[in-house]
Amino acid sequence: MYTSAITRAVWDGSIPIQFTWDKAEANALGSTAVESFFVEAPRCSYFSLLTSQVRKHFVDMALHFIGDDAEVWYDYEGTPLKWHYPIGLLYDLHGIQASSNKPGARETLLPWKVTVHFQNFPADRLIKSQAVDICQDYFMSMIKEADFLRNGSTKKVMNMSKADQTQLWDGLWSNNYDRFWEMNKKLVTNDGASPRHLPMRIYLPENCPVIQEPVSPVDENDRPRSLRQVLNVALPDLFPLDQDPSTPPPATAMVHGVTPSLDTGAVWASQNMSYPDNFLHIVVLFNS
Amino acid sequence: MSQTGTPSSESPPLPTEAVAPEAPTAPRPPASPATVLANLKKKDTSKVVVRFRAIGNAPILKQNFYKISASNKFMAVIQFLRKELNYQPSDPLFLYVNSAFSPAPDETVTNLYKCFNTDGRLIINYCTSPAWG
Repeated sequence: MYTSAITRAVWDGSIPIQFTWDKAEANALGSTAVESFFVEAPRCSYFSLLTSQVRKHFVDMALHFIGDDAEVWYDYEGTPLKWHYPIGLLYDLHGIQASSNKPGARETLLPWKVTVHFQNFPADRLIKSQAVDICQDYFMSMIKEADFLRNGSTKKVMNMSKADQTQLWDGLWSNNYDRFWEMNKKLVTNDGASPRHLPMRIYLPENCPVIQEPVSPVDENDRPRSLRQVLNVALPDLFPLDQDPSTPPPATAMVHGVTPSLDTGAVWASQNMSYPDNFLHIVVLFNS
Repeated sequence: MSQTGTPSSESPPLPTEAVAPEAPTAPRPPASPATVLANLKKKDTSKVVVRFRAIGNAPILKQNFYKISASNKFMAVIQFLRKELNYQPSDPLFLYVNSAFSPAPDETVTNLYKCFNTDGRLIINYCTSPAWG
């Protein structure tokens, strides 16, 4: 069952972000002295949901921008940031994971220094959408994909009324934990039934393809698996079951910027530590 | 439902890169993180069978089954289907897996196949207006 102290802490997780207008774009318009925009962004939110604030700041400053918000995009150190990934996942990937082998780098990551672009959308590297509310469609599609993994169909989501489905997105969009969880608990607890598979994605460094496998929450003998056991199914060399506690493991699993004990029950982790899109997004750090 | 075809090597293939050597099976001593990463980043040259099913008034394809490289992103599947249907970028087209959800274009075919295949086939429904909204 879900533990509201944990789901609340996950929901309240935030990252201070410093948005700076891309230098080349600003120079081209002769607007070099534009101040950065600072915001404390919920980890569970999306960049698309911050765009109207970011745009307003830069338009108030100097920028003449009459385009659609969907043309606005962001990068961190040259890497375009996917607007359909939660902000916390992007930070853990491009901030923490990417700097994990650089001594001292993690201490200077915050505020997270993100560059804003109003031109030259990199359609070859980011999904080009026609409108910002496409973010809601992607979010709901992830929820359905998660439901399909748990139940082999999307009946749980589709049996919710349109209003109840919309409440999920509204709760996220308005940062209203109670509104979101009133509906989300029906999905993640699966009415007490054991899920067929765990909605989980694993992210390794260096642009390695994302790993998503149909991992059962129980082993061959129907015993509940731990996080270590489900990670071992996908990555046996990185998450050995016989890890000697006195030696450092080859890899660490991070969720929401923290490293949970790998003895945590996998179903509990899925119910309590998933992002609002119902997926457990696990970022792997190598221990060199 | 009665329309059937057979997976065929004559199916128009999606672009693939040169054949990479088979990934070695895991050696007995655990592989190092660098080795694990290198193996996972190697191009997966296997192919999976995709079955396209038209919904509503969407045009029907000449064949139902295609072999598609597992390493492709779903974006390549969308582009492939558009090409087969002779669709312009402005023509609306919506793709779903198992009549249930619409994957993001950057999801990989291999992950979708592993998680959602039905009897060894990844079923993709397509239509000209949103369904299963």
